[in-house]
Amino acid sequence: MAEGPKPSSSVKLVLLGEAAVGKSSLVLRFVNDDFQENREPTIGAAFLTQKCSLPNRTIKFEIWDTAGQERFASLAPMYYRNAQSALVVYDLTKASSLAKAKHWVAELQRQASPGIVIALVGNKLDLTNQSTGLEGSMGGLSLSNAAGDGDDDEEEEGDARQITTAEAKSYADEEGLLFFETSAKTGHNVQEVFTAIANAIPESTLKTRGGPGSGRAGGGATDTFGGSGGVNLSAVGETNKDGCAC
Amino acid sequence: MLSLSSLISKASSLIDPNILPPSLLNQVNGTNNDGQTPAVLFRSNFRLPDSENPLAVIPCELSLPTGEHYFGRLHLSESFLCFSSSAPSSATGTNSSSSSAAGPPSCGFTLPLVAIRRVERLHSRSYLFALAVTTWHNDQKLTLQFNSLRSTCEKFCEALKKNLRSQMSEMKNLRMLVGSCYSEWLVTGGKSKDGVKEEPDAGLGMVWRYPGDLKKLRDRSKMRLWAEYLRENGRNITLIRQPTFHKLIRVGLPNRLRGEIWELTSGSLYGRLFNPTLYTDTLTEFSGRHSLSIDEIEKDLNRSLPEYPGFQSEEGIGRLRRVLSAYSWRNPDIGYCQAMNIVVAALLIYMSETQAFFLLSTLCDRLVPGYYSQTMYGTLLDQRVFESLVEKTMPILWEHLVKADVQLSVVSLPWFLSLFINSMPLVFAFRVLDVFFLEGPKVLFQVGLAILRINGEELLDVTDDGAFISCLKNYFLRLDESAHPRSDNEKLRAVTRFQELMVVAFREFSGITEQTITDQRTRHKDSVLSSIESFAKRTTLRNLGPESKRLSTNDLGYIYDRFYKVLYERQERLAAIELEKERLNEKKVMSSGRSISEKSINEKGRIGLGPSSQLMDYDYFREFLAGVAKWAIADSPSQLFSPSLGGSLDPQWGGNARKKSINLSPWGDNAEPADHEFMHRLFRRWDTDYRSGLSLQDVVAGLAGIKGKKDIMESISYFFELYDDDGDGRVDREGILRISEALLFITRRGWETPSHIGEQNRGGEGKGGTDPFLGSVSGFIRRCFEYADPDQQGKQEEVSTGVEGMDELVDLLDLASDDEDGESVKSPVKEKGPMKDKDEELEGKSSLDLDANTKPSAMSANIALDPANPLHITLPTFRMIVLADEVLEYFFETGFADSIVLSTDGSKTPGGRNMSIGASAFGNLGGGGIAGAKGLRGVLDNIVNDGMRVAQEVRRRMDEAQKELERNAVPGKYKEDEEDEGDAKSIMEGDRDLLKGAEASVVDDTAKLAIKTGLPDDDGASGTLLGSPTSSLATTHVGEELRTPTTPMPTRVEFEMDK
Repeated sequence: MAEGPKPSSSVKLVLLGEAAVGKSSLVLRFVNDDFQENREPTIGAAFLTQKCSLPNRTIKFEIWDTAGQERFASLAPMYYRNAQSALVVYDLTKASSLAKAKHWVAELQRQASPGIVIALVGNKLDLTNQSTGLEGSMGGLSLSNAAGDGDDDEEEEGDARQITTAEAKSYADEEGLLFFETSAKTGHNVQEVFTAIANAIPESTLKTRGGPGSGRAGGGATDTFGGSGGVNLSAVGETNKDGCAC
Repeated sequence: MLSLSSLISKASSLIDPNILPPSLLNQVNGTNNDGQTPAVLFRSNFRLPDSENPLAVIPCELSLPTGEHYFGRLHLSESFLCFSSSAPSSATGTNSSSSSAAGPPSCGFTLPLVAIRRVERLHSRSYLFALAVTTWHNDQKLTLQFNSLRSTCEKFCEALKKNLRSQMSEMKNLRMLVGSCYSEWLVTGGKSKDGVKEEPDAGLGMVWRYPGDLKKLRDRSKMRLWAEYLRENGRNITLIRQPTFHKLIRVGLPNRLRGEIWELTSGSLYGRLFNPTLYTDTLTEFSGRHSLSIDEIEKDLNRSLPEYPGFQSEEGIGRLRRVLSAYSWRNPDIGYCQAMNIVVAALLIYMSETQAFFLLSTLCDRLVPGYYSQTMYGTLLDQRVFESLVEKTMPILWEHLVKADVQLSVVSLPWFLSLFINSMPLVFAFRVLDVFFLEGPKVLFQVGLAILRINGEELLDVTDDGAFISCLKNYFLRLDESAHPRSDNEKLRAVTRFQELMVVAFREFSGITEQTITDQRTRHKDSVLSSIESFAKRTTLRNLGPESKRLSTNDLGYIYDRFYKVLYERQERLAAIELEKERLNEKKVMSSGRSISEKSINEKGRIGLGPSSQLMDYDYFREFLAGVAKWAIADSPSQLFSPSLGGSLDPQWGGNARKKSINLSPWGDNAEPADHEFMHRLFRRWDTDYRSGLSLQDVVAGLAGIKGKKDIMESISYFFELYDDDGDGRVDREGILRISEALLFITRRGWETPSHIGEQNRGGEGKGGTDPFLGSVSGFIRRCFEYADPDQQGKQEEVSTGVEGMDELVDLLDLASDDEDGESVKSPVKEKGPMKDKDEELEGKSSLDLDANTKPSAMSANIALDPANPLHITLPTFRMIVLADEVLEYFFETGFADSIVLSTDGSKTPGGRNMSIGASAFGNLGGGGIAGAKGLRGVLDNIVNDGMRVAQEVRRRMDEAQKELERNAVPGKYKEDEEDEGDAKSIMEGDRDLLKGAEASVVDDTAKLAIKTGLPDDDGASGTLLGSPTSSLATTHVGEELRTPTTPMPTRVEFEMDK
């Protein structure tokens, strides 16, 4: 199946996080390279797709962008079902949003497909005073001096940052998450997040898909359904019986 | 008479049950469907406020001024007269195919009584009973001819007359309301007696234009048609719905009338009629206040229909903010949910703020119940219902979606939640809303099904979520295109896709009725709620905070279940009792015309339905405790409930208690919980936010504080702190007594002690004859008073012991290892003795000086019990005393924690196995006392000696880090010491008389625990303090009388002198 010049596979990705942290904006930036100041809140969830090209393969992201308000949380399982990857987003300028993100990470680790690739993303970097300084140098993972800045001078002029890089980074390391600080507004680091996720998805999950955790990755779409449809059938029946809640 | 009965039968034959709306049918048959009482159905049928109840109903024929006649039924409620026709029977009645069967009754009205100017009895042929009703808008005169027994007619008229009179006061509101209606302005041309009026507010659209092309919408001709209809059939509050009315709505409302007709058809108009100032009052009342909802609203204000120019302006944003905030204050259970911003923004284009506020209430309460609630159960439920309808009506498509693993609700959920407003182009969404407000929630399902049906072929080719979504997205964008672009028939080509959608929705899916939806909702409700609940439980348990980590997952799950079980069961029970009370009251005052109002019990009792109250007050807490700890169950159910000590606690059941006629116990089938001061203290301790209520988190943290303690020291501190009211590290005399009370309270039903514990206490003679705990508690009290510090010197002593302690520490360490030697054990105690003695001597003397003449000298002998000498124990003292007693030690080590039984195993359920042990211990108390006392004697001596040693140790170190050492020292205390006993006895004999005196005088009345005891007179020279208590203890007969009779309190313990 993977014999083509550049194998292409679909990866289901779900975005989770507190309301108004910029989940939809991240997606819009990634998919359309665009930014809108006042986007309508996502009701339920939005669905978009975008391809991500890697040296040896192409990943087609099927992105589920969920609503952030607390009470929509009970709908989330409907969307992260079968997801192979997740972006858990928080707002660098809002302390409470990291707590919520941690909650989502815990939820995913326990309830989502095993082996799900999770990236922790601190958005709205443009509102902090690092918005310009560190461009390019951040692979997302090496921010030690930035962390120092954040720790010492949080009250610096124009810096609305409330969550230091070090704090979030150490949490991400602890939980084994990818970690990035982004700005959907400037586009900083956005592409990198998705690329990193694409790289982190183990090739094995793309090829072997028998379990309910498998999406419709791999070659032709028809193949996918011929192959896994039967397997999925029972699983879907199950899920539907439980309603969308869990 | 014959003709009359024939007429009745003729009339009833006209009422074909198949044509009656299903809801009405239920009413006729008196069937109760899914908790939908006839009153609920009646209200929803006529869109009446919740305060209305069906009082009378009568078959009748309605004749309109325009010449139409309709047979139907006339209903009377407190403030409304309503009519619904059973079938289009008028000769002129146009055939309304599209709105028949599933649609609303072809003709009807909902007339507020206040809008009736006059009712005349018509003198027609004798067997006919007819009324002529003149409404507010003078031009209207309705004739109502009753088809019923004369007495029934008379009765109906009586009730009508009575209610008409009582509604007179609402006249002012009526004027205000009518003045704000656009229809009024439209028909009168703005002219009234008071001169030309301003055009009423018909939404932001008046300023920023209404969406859509006016020409394309044919707005002007629609307006003309409406003006004509309103002139003939009344307007706003006096409007009569004829088949034309429904048709006019189906073709789309004209912009300026849209808001008002929405109000009218949804019934929110009546809410506004009776609460004309509610909206502005709410805004004033809560102006400047903050809440989570307000924050959430602010976040979304700029993102609600941002493409509409009105919402790019401060004015539009301001309106949106005010309506959403006012609603969140009025209904904090819902507060604010995303999607409400979109819906309200849409409403505001067509109506004023006040109108939108009331329409939003009607939406949330009646039209889409539970959609925007905390758990959004309504949304999830309707998704399930929708899925099952798809499965039923389009099985092939359904099967395909299942196979392709496409989850339908990912597309349909936003349709329902935002009422299609952000799915379809606005103009079309509003058309759907027009019908939705008229016909109710089933419209959402019909339109949703029609969308899938129309796109069925394409959807069958779709193989994943993405394609599914984009297929429908494209469809919505092309709703204004021709449905049959290639047709030869010009008329067919002119049909837009939207028109096609409406036709399919209301014709092909006309079988989807309100009843279908109700039935389906009932069917799926349970599974949807359960899945929400399991999600909620999972989430909640994870977020209970660090304290919860001290309990096992099983325990947490158990606490969670138990917490909500008690909370909801009790809420329900109280509601039921309240209702019962109301019924009884109403029976008493019931007048002829008024039937018992049918207040439905609000559906509660499920987490899935969202929060009602999430806090437990003290009574809930008692019930909760009674379920997990057997000591929290009352000994004998009381008939009369004492008013709760807390004062601010639930007034409801305080009231019930007085009404004995109600046979419903506020505790339901559960055992009545005890009410003990200790439970109060626990409650207050757990109530960390001082809300007079406990959240789940409070309860978990509270239980973690007891059950999660790994260490006996923590457990002792916990107990001590419960009684340290002012947090100064001291517990006073009263507190000491209360602690002992609590200890006895907790263990009064027995508790599990391993067999070896307490053996010593029983001694040779005890042989299970007495409760070792009682002995321990009496010893506890004695020792507390013995080692208590007088308040004045307290501080000095602490300092001095702190200093001196340093030298003695070394000494003690040596001794601790050498506890075989009785003398050396004693020595440090003696060292300490004189020093303490001096302090107390001083105390004693001063009290002697004061009381020498009035009180027997026994008083001075027992400084500890003299109320004139305030004293206290500190935590270290308390620890020492507890650790000095094996039974107490065990109690604090595990017994206390184990007395609360959570998830673990079934054998330990409260009221189970342990009960019998408790009972036997209980039963023996009376008789076994003496035997026990003798056995205790010698043992207690040693305990005291060793206890003192421990005390010193504790006092000297005052450091929790040294716990280990303390415990090592404890084992030494069980050594028999015969000499000591002898000494003690001799002193005791001599002081008998004095003790009797003390017994008589030192009874602390304020404490519920009566302690009659005494200490030998300290001559200031002979017995050291060290010696005297020992001796008194030795001969103190622990004659116990542990009564827990009819009232749970007070527990009475008497200590009497033997011999």
